Amino acid sequence: MAVPTDVIPRRPTLLFIVVLSMLFALMAASSRTRVVGETRTLFERTVMTLFAPVPKVVNWVGSSAADMYHGYLDMRRSVKENLQLRRKVDQLTTENLRLRQGEGDLRRLRSLLGYSEQFTMPTTMAEAIMLDISGRFKSIIIDRGSAAGIDVDDAVVNANGLIGRVVLTTKDMSKVQLVTDNNSSVGVLIERTRRQGVLRGDGAGGAQLYDIPSLADVRPGDSIITAGIDGIYPKGIPVGVVVKAEKGQDLFKTITVKPLVEFASIEETIVLHTRKVPSEVVRYTP
Amino acid sequence: MRWLRFAVGLIIALTLHSLLDSFFPNALAFFNPYIILIVYYSMGGNVFGAIIAGVIAGLVQDAYSGAIFGLHAFSLTVCAYTVAYINSRLSLRGTLAFGGCLIGAVIVNELVIYILVNILLKQKIQMFEQGMIFKAIFTCLFGMLVYQLLTLFLREEPIEATRRPAGW
Repeated sequence: MAVPTDVIPRRPTLLFIVVLSMLFALMAASSRTRVVGETRTLFERTVMTLFAPVPKVVNWVGSSAADMYHGYLDMRRSVKENLQLRRKVDQLTTENLRLRQGEGDLRRLRSLLGYSEQFTMPTTMAEAIMLDISGRFKSIIIDRGSAAGIDVDDAVVNANGLIGRVVLTTKDMSKVQLVTDNNSSVGVLIERTRRQGVLRGDGAGGAQLYDIPSLADVRPGDSIITAGIDGIYPKGIPVGVVVKAEKGQDLFKTITVKPLVEFASIEETIVLHTRKVPSEVVRYTP
Repeated sequence: MRWLRFAVGLIIALTLHSLLDSFFPNALAFFNPYIILIVYYSMGGNVFGAIIAGVIAGLVQDAYSGAIFGLHAFSLTVCAYTVAYINSRLSLRGTLAFGGCLIGAVIVNELVIYILVNILLKQKIQMFEQGMIFKAIFTCLFGMLVYQLLTLFLREEPIEATRRPAGW
């Protein structure tokens, strides 16, 4: 017998009971499949498939939002970290420069100290505070004076060799005439042949070696050291090397010497308190 | 149109379900968006439609909740039928009435689930009373808020029924 189309709406309680019975049967089937290990019935899978786009979209939106949020946080963290690292780089660069300078100073001072220990006479360490090497008269100012025991005619050296001599002192500063000065004269000898001569500054950054006979054996590359005969400079301080030795117009050779000291970059110096020859001894004539 | 609104509501409920599952996994123990949908739909007084809506919403909830398939469909159908039947007689309206229906529906829903789990799985639900109370409170509060917003901004009333008398 055909059921009238309006029976079901008019009998919702009947429908309710039928639906509940069906659902109960579905639950019973579902709970049984759980026992045997199948967690999803075909009907359940169908419902899931039908509504699958919703959780997928939600998950996609959620994970995208989370990614964006975390990306934003990461970006902020990176910016902050970048700033910190930049500051750190600046700080480390400054520190590095300071350490490099310190290392250079240390190396220079070590060599200077080792050099000063060779001398038996008293020495004073001094730092060059002014350089005047551009003119014809070449000098430097050092930061120690008579208060430190520095006296006129004290020899001034550094780790490379002879710088010059003290020509003027104040209480806490001294003026040093360089060996390249036009008025400077140093008693020297050629280390290889022991031939003595006088080294005079040429006023142009170099020096000339005088009083070497034409027949003397002098070659470019020969080392020149102080002879210790002028009453100012102790014997054996390296002064320079011969760069040119030519036959002169008279009986002597014309010899050009290049000083060992780079005068433009003098920093630390050693002042040697040499034992002075009394002036009356110098002036005495028998 | 009624079913279209129900479909939209169901998608929103499923979205909420997925969101809560993803970000606050324990939240669904205190809040059930499907009940709000069913009660809202059932308050129109259409018992037949309420039964169908209860079955559909329950099956969707079952499909994504890992319970025995049909358990929530059963309980939500009972809720939907009860609310729709009462409304077909009393024609309840307003936010407070909606909240009252929600609390009743949550209690009925939880009781049905409790009984069915006992029968089918021979298991006791832990912390049943506390869970039920919390779920009733939070679902009711959220549901009333939604109802209020729908009434205020969309001038929405519960889906009207055809007002056919329910009969045995």
